[in-house]
Amino acid sequence: MTTNKPALKRDTVDHRKEGVESKVEGFNDRARKAVKDRELHDSVSLFVNKTLTGRQANLAALPEAPELREKAYHIKQKTMANLDTYLDQMADAVESRGGNVHFASTGEDVVRYIGELAKRRGSKVLAKSKSMATEEIELNRHLEEDYADLALDIVETDLGEWIAQLAGDHPSHIVGPILHMNKKRIADVLSETAGEELPPDVKALAGFARQRLREKFLSADIGISGANFGVAESGTICMVTNEGNGRLVTSVPPVHVVVMGIEKLVPKFEDLSVFTQLLARNGTGQKLTVYTNFITGPRGEGELDGAEEFHLILMDNGRSKLLGTEFEEALYCIRCGSCLNVCPVYRQTGGHAYGSTYSGPIGAVITPLLKGDKEAKDLPHASSLCAACTETCPVGIPLHELLLKLRNRQVDEGLAGKAQEMVFKGFEKTMTSPKLLNISTKAGRVAQKPMTKNGSLRPMPGPLSGWTDTRDLPPLAEKSFREMWREGI
Amino acid sequence: MKAALFIPCYVDAMYPEVGVGVVRTLRNLGVDIVYPEGQTCCGQPAFNSGFFEESRSVAKHFMDVFEKEREKEGFDYIVCPSGSCATMASHYYPFIFKDLPDERERSEELGHKVREFSDFLVNVLGVGDVGAKMSGKAVFHTGCHQRRELGILNEPRELLESVGGLELLEWENEELCCGFGGTFSVKMPEVSTAMADEKIDALEKSGADTLVSCDSSCLMHLAGRMKRRQTGTRVMHLAEVLDPGNPVNGKVG
Amino acid sequence: MSNRTEFLDSIRHRTQAGRYKPTKAPDSAWTRTPERPFATPPIEDPTARFLEELEALGGHGKRVEDMDEAREHILALAKEREAKLLVRWDVDELEELSADEPLSEAGTEVAIWRDLEDFRDVAAKADIGLSTAEWAIAETGSLVLEGGVGKGRTVTLLPPTYIAVVPVDRLLRTTTEAFGKYGGGNLPANLCFHTGPSRSGDIEMSLAIGVHGPGDVHVLLVG
Repeated sequence: MTTNKPALKRDTVDHRKEGVESKVEGFNDRARKAVKDRELHDSVSLFVNKTLTGRQANLAALPEAPELREKAYHIKQKTMANLDTYLDQMADAVESRGGNVHFASTGEDVVRYIGELAKRRGSKVLAKSKSMATEEIELNRHLEEDYADLALDIVETDLGEWIAQLAGDHPSHIVGPILHMNKKRIADVLSETAGEELPPDVKALAGFARQRLREKFLSADIGISGANFGVAESGTICMVTNEGNGRLVTSVPPVHVVVMGIEKLVPKFEDLSVFTQLLARNGTGQKLTVYTNFITGPRGEGELDGAEEFHLILMDNGRSKLLGTEFEEALYCIRCGSCLNVCPVYRQTGGHAYGSTYSGPIGAVITPLLKGDKEAKDLPHASSLCAACTETCPVGIPLHELLLKLRNRQVDEGLAGKAQEMVFKGFEKTMTSPKLLNISTKAGRVAQKPMTKNGSLRPMPGPLSGWTDTRDLPPLAEKSFREMWREGI
Repeated sequence: MKAALFIPCYVDAMYPEVGVGVVRTLRNLGVDIVYPEGQTCCGQPAFNSGFFEESRSVAKHFMDVFEKEREKEGFDYIVCPSGSCATMASHYYPFIFKDLPDERERSEELGHKVREFSDFLVNVLGVGDVGAKMSGKAVFHTGCHQRRELGILNEPRELLESVGGLELLEWENEELCCGFGGTFSVKMPEVSTAMADEKIDALEKSGADTLVSCDSSCLMHLAGRMKRRQTGTRVMHLAEVLDPGNPVNGKVG
Repeated sequence: MSNRTEFLDSIRHRTQAGRYKPTKAPDSAWTRTPERPFATPPIEDPTARFLEELEALGGHGKRVEDMDEAREHILALAKEREAKLLVRWDVDELEELSADEPLSEAGTEVAIWRDLEDFRDVAAKADIGLSTAEWAIAETGSLVLEGGVGKGRTVTLLPPTYIAVVPVDRLLRTTTEAFGKYGGGNLPANLCFHTGPSRSGDIEMSLAIGVHGPGDVHVLLVG
């Protein structure tokens, strides 16, 4: 049989190798390009509109959703206030069930732990279930680079993540990693892997993925997963997946490694009743995710499947510095992605414009918090502050207020720039003096005369060109309200 | 009933007819109106850009002016024809004065008095029909502050639905932001414009000939883009629609 | 472990010093519309609700009289799927079903989840996985699967067709009730709330069924 290698139209750059770090500064540049990409726009609209419809229907069927939200917030608040105690409890519980616990302050710690584990066990194939924490630290890239001699075969097993990996692309949404790709593009990517032309048909593509990834599951030496939640009282990890890859990664390979951010803890198992429902309904518009899986340590005595060796890595990577600060609420996030779905900015730009593992409103908040304000200067400004994110957040994070506070922090750190500082000093001066405001208005009226045409100002230079390049700007009125009032209305 | 007018700075300078509409509508309903002339701006532009210190100065000025007026004239409410500026004064002053107990108390005290125009009409005066008439097909855009911070959703619709000769239409994705966002519109103009375009596409699809809002800032943004796109939809603030002295009012064709 | 002490100390230091008090916590009154009821209406008929939810997810549910009827159903299904190999949990409920012999007579070999050299050989080759469930949840159409001796995780996961035989008295009304069964955190090494066929919407939001787990899911409520 001759294999028909399809001509690939996609660019062959492996974006994963470039990494996501320090590219965060140029949101505006990326967004500028992204808003012109109609194909991207259609893909994003398709995803968010469908997800929102599902979400609406499911939340409407859950009248107590607002109460659940309040409950979730308070559980998280309590957890963060006593995080050290709960982490201690969690570690004890995992160890008492025969699991190993490692505390990792940084992403490098995580990479080293897993790399050394793979070396010790002589592992080759690492099967991964979708995990934002490992995306955040770019685990795959670092393992491949730092442990090149092991020649590890690291395979993402979530359908979307796998396709992204094959395409050399970063995920562009917390829940829908490849929503930016259309069917044709996906068929191209998978055809290259298959070595034969696959039709752009969902069933065929998913079928190919099932078969190819099944081999990986069965031969995997280590399964790596994230965790949606960790239960302190029992040492339980909760993972939700719809495809079943999460359950496979944790059941088939002899070793299971969990990389969990320290903020994922909840005190009690029954707390998950609140969170699993909120996550499914908000994230994907389901009542419950297909596989809501709870793992407590390695397989028990006499069990035939499930990992024999269980490792829990509790990762800080910048999180603990938010504890007890005015940004603590950012740690309450359960990564449901609904703030992305309702965000009118994300809707126009998609996820890659954010240049960060986490995109959308939560990405704009968490990226500068974890990586530093300088690394993500644009992101807190990538919002019209419409508060749709805050309104939708199932755990009640005041996202738009956090964005405001981040903008304020930039100003305090002197990152806003001299020009802006002057503008707002001038603003302060004018707006605390009615007299000065009056003079400015009158001066403006004189100055605008030669610049007005057909009831609009001509295109303006400087920062105002940002407005006038694409939109008309009305001139100041001949008479202000205050003047009309004085004359009598 | 006595109300103090809070006319946002840009309405004062660019859209005085909106303020006039408020005055005539309220007077027609027997409300006694005072206008503290020392007022300037609520401070929102600085606040939204992260310049909290500067916005606090402006907010203090606002509180000084209105508190003085209250001592002098003893008004019951502060009425503002902008959901956004009303939100600043009622919700965000306590936020920026969080660590200054005196100012925080003052801001909360004053904040309770601040009412957005349609909120004041419907919920304070109990008037859902001011007897206005105007022909046309309108859609209503709820500004984001008004929608999510103030929760004033039904009031403007109630007022519009009772305008004789005016048909209120639904439009797609009504809850989406128009893309103005204050300095956002200048800092990220391409994204902001793309957001406006999505709204305008929906507007054109709706078959409406008039776009109404309680926020002149959203309207300035959408109208500015529409003019550039040469979309001929009429743009009006709710106060203009209800204004008994507006030349279009009363003419039902 | 010094790593642990140091790590926790640094966090303790932050959780205790200068705790931030948020300006406002989310308030359910804020998002509540007045006409909305305060709670979900109670589920009147859990069986009907369970079957309805499962069907909506693309699964198949059936209420059967007794184990005999369940067996007949499984035999018919095995025949229809032309199953060569069925793997089942080693539990009393499925002994009671006594389907092993009739199945092998009809050409479907039955593997029982005990004393297996490598479970992969069996679970990955089987056409059908058969288990019972600790609980079922009416509100969501979910099965609550406990792992343990004789109760393989992959039995319910690797074969393309999955059948669960569940005594109807194990049907709970809500998810909250199901979580309540494990209150205090006394959990088996594995617990799974399994809700309908495996699915993915990753490709253009078009539903793909049976991506990694079974796409063909049948639940027989017995009694």
